[in-house]
Amino acid sequence: MRIIKLNSNNINQVINNTISVLRSNGLVVFPSDTVYGLLCDATNERAVKKLILFKERPAGKPISVFSNFSLINELTTISNQQSKTLKQILPGPFTIILPSKHKVNKLLESETGTLGIRVPMYRYIELLVGQFKKPITATSANLAGRSPYYSIKSLLNGLTEKQKKLIDLVIDAGDLPRNKPSTVVDLTQSDVKVLRQGDISFSNNSKIFLTETSEETKNIAKQIFIGLRTIHKLSLRIKPLIFIIEGEMGVGKTVFVKGIGEQLGIKNIISPTFVIYYEYGNFYHFDLYNIENNEEFKHLGLKKFLKPGNILCFEWGEKAGEIINILKEKGNVIYVRMNYINEKERKITVNF
Amino acid sequence: MNILAIDTSCDETSVAVTDGRRVLSNVIYSQVLLHKKWGGVVPSIAKRAHEERIDFVVEEALKKFSIFNFQFSMKRIDCIAVTQGPGLAVALEVGIKKAKELAEKYQKKIISVNHLEGHIYSAFVENSQGNPKRNFKFPYLALIVSGGHTEFVIFKDHLEYEVIGSTLDDAAGEALDKAAKLLGLGYPGGPVIERLAKDAGNIDGHNFPRPMLRSKDLNFSFSGLKTSFYYFLKKNPSMISEVKLLASSFQEAVFDTLIKKTEMAMKQTGINKLVIGGGVVANMRLRKLMRDLAKKYHGEALFPSYKYLTGDNAAMIGVVAGYKAEKNLFVDKIDELDRIPRMNL
Repeated sequence: MRIIKLNSNNINQVINNTISVLRSNGLVVFPSDTVYGLLCDATNERAVKKLILFKERPAGKPISVFSNFSLINELTTISNQQSKTLKQILPGPFTIILPSKHKVNKLLESETGTLGIRVPMYRYIELLVGQFKKPITATSANLAGRSPYYSIKSLLNGLTEKQKKLIDLVIDAGDLPRNKPSTVVDLTQSDVKVLRQGDISFSNNSKIFLTETSEETKNIAKQIFIGLRTIHKLSLRIKPLIFIIEGEMGVGKTVFVKGIGEQLGIKNIISPTFVIYYEYGNFYHFDLYNIENNEEFKHLGLKKFLKPGNILCFEWGEKAGEIINILKEKGNVIYVRMNYINEKERKITVNF
Repeated sequence: MNILAIDTSCDETSVAVTDGRRVLSNVIYSQVLLHKKWGGVVPSIAKRAHEERIDFVVEEALKKFSIFNFQFSMKRIDCIAVTQGPGLAVALEVGIKKAKELAEKYQKKIISVNHLEGHIYSAFVENSQGNPKRNFKFPYLALIVSGGHTEFVIFKDHLEYEVIGSTLDDAAGEALDKAAKLLGLGYPGGPVIERLAKDAGNIDGHNFPRPMLRSKDLNFSFSGLKTSFYYFLKKNPSMISEVKLLASSFQEAVFDTLIKKTEMAMKQTGINKLVIGGGVVANMRLRKLMRDLAKKYHGEALFPSYKYLTGDNAAMIGVVAGYKAEKNLFVDKIDELDRIPRMNL
């Protein structure tokens, strides 16, 4: 078992090493948007058997696979309606159940011939699937029925020697931000069925917007802000309003914040990446992009900003990890997730 | 007039002693040095990191300035200069607190300086021997390009500025850093990108978009370029192996935008003398392009003469403070001096 620590400099090397282990039917512990996963070539029976041996998983229990949009059509039978639904929610922390075309090893499918598909919003998995060009198993690196692992240390502590021998490569990305496992959605039934509730819930308090220009994005941000202001008018006096904005580079997070700022009459908002945050009166604009570890959060002195009447925006909210609980406790938290649909179009999902 | 200058605007703790435009001592405590000296990782941008090193940096700067002890060295200091903004709030606080403390203890006046003024003056900063000798020939068109700023300023006369354009989102240096991160090159990415681009002969193989060139104003926007670069890598993941060509093409897109906008600014203002400051002018490719541009208009392009002057440093703050002292621009009520994180010129 080899352990490689993932850092911003060795992405290519990590992807290459992982692919060569997958090609030789090995098992890899790999970080994901939710928990540490156990990866192997989903089309190779020897690899899949090794995985099932590791998981001590009862036969017949299906295992989902990491895929991307172009692979989904090769792996599963999918209607136009389903395709539409998928584009709304993927990439994201969902496992989608669809009728399998039996391109993966049958041990991964359910008894009824369905397959679970994951298209996470997580760059390393995207790169890996894109370059491997085959589905990869997406099960969590814990034994069947046990709780999942968010750090390599706790994972290694929980393994027997026999299990350690089965693992060929471990990619250590440090502590993962403790997202729940994915929400499982069954699309094989006529009405959408949620089998396991993860972090994202389909509550009524979720809204999806589509935008094609930065002006539209700003207007959506303004609308949301005005809407929330009416809902939270009273509570803003009791608790600060906090936006946690997630999404990949260039998707328009700063543009969204500029929209909120403009609504408040602040016109000179620029990206705070370089200095972590800028303050504009009672409006605070954070960018957690350069934050490397939890230790650094302590130095931000966050608590003093969490006062009633303040409005805080956090870009790269997925890096907030541990502080999310503090934010939830002290403020009204609004989650904003921004996804690329294509180079021009964006999807903005707001949970409040 | 000997000025003790302090700059803690971002992730470098810097203290200098200057006299007019001459730098008598300058100490910069950067993360790189920390790694070298202690071999440990210290949170780069943290308040505590500044707090821990500020006393040491002040002492070192004074030691280099005079052979006498601290008390006696302070006697030879006439006033204290400090960066008030823009920058990271908790970092700025540390420098201001230290300046106040020293001012009170040794009965000195304080001069507050805008960090951007420092970058504008950085091309005129001299070493302890008074070199290079450059006379001011106002007005200048100043361009500040760093990880945190991209701004056009008309530098009309000493301490007289007019901002005529700035970035609407990301700074040029930030765009380069982020591209480097997408290419898996680490932080800070600017120097690596420069090296790879040079290896590729600074060619532009991909023609990434040049944002804002069609608009007639002098503002910049680099987020669209970042998006198209991100999308390009996503669509062509195998291209990542051609990292040199990508780095070169991206850098050319950023620099071409800077050059074309600068040319536009030269035409609009009729000024053909350029001063360029900030971390990105450490890049030799950008210097060459700017020199060529100035030549085309029979002007000149001035850059900081020493590499440390391109980054954040207290020497440039001290030099600005020298001109402010001449005009008696001291801080009135020292107690009320506070940091201004989004300070404008």
